[in-house]
Amino acid sequence: MRLNELNMGESGIIKKIHAKEPLKSKLLSMGFARGERVKVLKHTLAKNTFDVDVNGINIALREEEAREIEVEKDN
Amino acid sequence: MVEIKIALVGQPNVGKSHLINSISGATLHVGNFSGVTVEKKEVEFERNGYKLKLIDLPGTYSLHPYTPEEKVTKEFLINEEYDLILNVVDSNQLEKNLIFSWQVADLNKPMVIAFNMYDEYSRAGGEIDTDKFFKLTNIMAQNVSAKENFGLEELFEKVIKTYQQKNTPRIYYSEIIEEEIENIKEKIKNCKFDKRFISIRLLEDDEDIYKIVHEKPWFVELLPALNESKKVIKNEYDNDDLKEIFFEERLALAKGIVSQIAKKAQKEKISEKIDKILIHPILGLPIFLLVMWIVFQLTFSVGALPAYYIGEGFSAFGNWIGNLMPNGLFKDAIVNGIIPAVGTVVMFLPNILILFLGINLMEQTGYMARAAYVMDGVLKRFGLQGRAFIPLISGFGCSVPAYMAARTLKNPKDRLITMLVIGFMSCGARLPIYVLLVSAFFAPSIQGDVMFAIYIGGALTGLVVAKILRSVLFKGEPEPFVMELPKYRFPKIKSLLFDLWIKTKMYLKKAGTFIALASLTVWFLSSFPRADIIKEYSYKIKHAQGIEKIELKKEMNQKILENSYLAKIGKIIAPITKPLDLGWREDVALLAGLAAKETVVSTMAVLYNGGSSSNKTLIEKIRNAMPFTAAVAMIIIVMFYSPCVAAMSTFYAEVPELAWRIFYTIYPNVFAYFAALIAVSLIKIFS
Repeated sequence: MRLNELNMGESGIIKKIHAKEPLKSKLLSMGFARGERVKVLKHTLAKNTFDVDVNGINIALREEEAREIEVEKDN
Repeated sequence: MVEIKIALVGQPNVGKSHLINSISGATLHVGNFSGVTVEKKEVEFERNGYKLKLIDLPGTYSLHPYTPEEKVTKEFLINEEYDLILNVVDSNQLEKNLIFSWQVADLNKPMVIAFNMYDEYSRAGGEIDTDKFFKLTNIMAQNVSAKENFGLEELFEKVIKTYQQKNTPRIYYSEIIEEEIENIKEKIKNCKFDKRFISIRLLEDDEDIYKIVHEKPWFVELLPALNESKKVIKNEYDNDDLKEIFFEERLALAKGIVSQIAKKAQKEKISEKIDKILIHPILGLPIFLLVMWIVFQLTFSVGALPAYYIGEGFSAFGNWIGNLMPNGLFKDAIVNGIIPAVGTVVMFLPNILILFLGINLMEQTGYMARAAYVMDGVLKRFGLQGRAFIPLISGFGCSVPAYMAARTLKNPKDRLITMLVIGFMSCGARLPIYVLLVSAFFAPSIQGDVMFAIYIGGALTGLVVAKILRSVLFKGEPEPFVMELPKYRFPKIKSLLFDLWIKTKMYLKKAGTFIALASLTVWFLSSFPRADIIKEYSYKIKHAQGIEKIELKKEMNQKILENSYLAKIGKIIAPITKPLDLGWREDVALLAGLAAKETVVSTMAVLYNGGSSSNKTLIEKIRNAMPFTAAVAMIIIVMFYSPCVAAMSTFYAEVPELAWRIFYTIYPNVFAYFAALIAVSLIKIFS
């Protein structure tokens, strides 16, 4: 499952970052590391842009970037 | 006195600039890093017999740089001479920040860490044991709050101590990696960089470092060992991505150390609560539009007032000086050339200051990032980024502050595309031209609609052009959008004012000189040659009476303009604009519009009306003299062609690349010409 498939309020554990460099390093440096929990706080109406929480930090990213992050959804 | 040169580094939003502003007794110097429009701040101050010189490097998430600003930081850290690194860390985000600190520590330079925003952190129950941190990492650290001004002096004591002891960090990775670092280190011979640093960066596939060392004679021997070491690490970690392996290594290290030195703070909930409203999926957009509406009302309505008085003040000053001076060329150059030119520069200041106060407030409170989040979905469709909204909207007021506002865009491509279409947002100064032409050529019942169409049409064209520029000139992957939404914070007045002061200085120094020179040039072109005309009229004026005298003066001015270099250029380009049904008068007016859009109407008035400012007669005159198609062509040209010299100068000051400056100078005019041509042809076909 990918991060962009999560709904508002849902969370999951990051499994893998599929993005290529240099985006991958960027995502890593913002805290999207394997094993971290990520929670979708909000997304815009059309699900274009996401506001997520990783390790206590709020990050906005587009659907395209969220799609590059594989997660395992929490139950 | 011994000078300690200190590189100030940290991730974005850690309060580095707050820290700089809080140092007492410091002098600040602002410039640019060579070749790029990245602001460079240097601060100097004295403590304990040392002169401390801080160089503020752009906020950086990682030494694998992503933005041009991050590249500047990396290049500085690797290539420049400095004595010590001062790393500012946000206490509230220890783990994320320390991952960067470890990378910096690898440089093996004397290093000190400031745990900033400690006030917030400790209020939420957090605690950091800096003695323990020192024992674990050999890095002296200090808890500080730049905002509440504590810990700074202790921090500088530690900086001096670290400098005196040449105390360097001791950060060690896991055994497997350390072993390979040692293997590589052996193979590195003479090299001005630290061997451990080079080894680590080569192991984590740092292309910049690779480029530096791959021409060294010893690299041939190193390469097989390096490949072998990489293979070993990849196998051990069961991961093909070395950058990721090192990242995870540093994250693990950060987590381990944080768990030993820090007592966790309670999670802050206020930002989340505010966000529930401000970036609500439905309410977010209207709230943002309301905020923008307020900012622009303040900028352009309130800002217009001082701008008006500044303008009046300068012309009064000009008159006053003029009365003191003997008539002649020198007086004319001062009164009609230099003073208005300087006046134009200063007149933009109120707008710029208010707009930047608004932007800075939005940046400092943390709302700007949210605005980008809210607007991103809409602007993405046009190949633009969420933050582009602010410079674009500012363009409706005035292009000068709009170009400067584009600085909020960190990615250079996003910034350039945005700046290239700002001119299509019709600025306030073009309104009188539209009013004149629309009221002369359109029925009163549809005048409002036409005006609306002009503004919306210009904006939409701008967005479409942005899309085209993105897909033609900036081909390739769309720019990713990943942005931290910092916590909401109260702004600090001192920082706000300080930043405004810097903006003012920058504007006056860079754009100001351009603007003044350009205005002078246009004045010269529109007032010369004139010796013969003045000779002819000065005799007549001398012998004329009362009203006749004024009439003669007006006539003389008209004659001068009609015979000026500007008019000559207008007549030269007349054949080019003939297909648009424009005459030489319109050409001259449009050329004068390059000086300032306000002068289009006044030039038309001079050329058609002999300077009479009565709008009614002017409207009648141009209605009789110009065909309808010419009016449409002129409106379209004003919508799209180059903005005034003040705006162009600001663009040049902001964009260092010559090729883009040339492109920017030419393409709007070509675009305007063909847009007008198409419109005129269509009208002719259908009527």
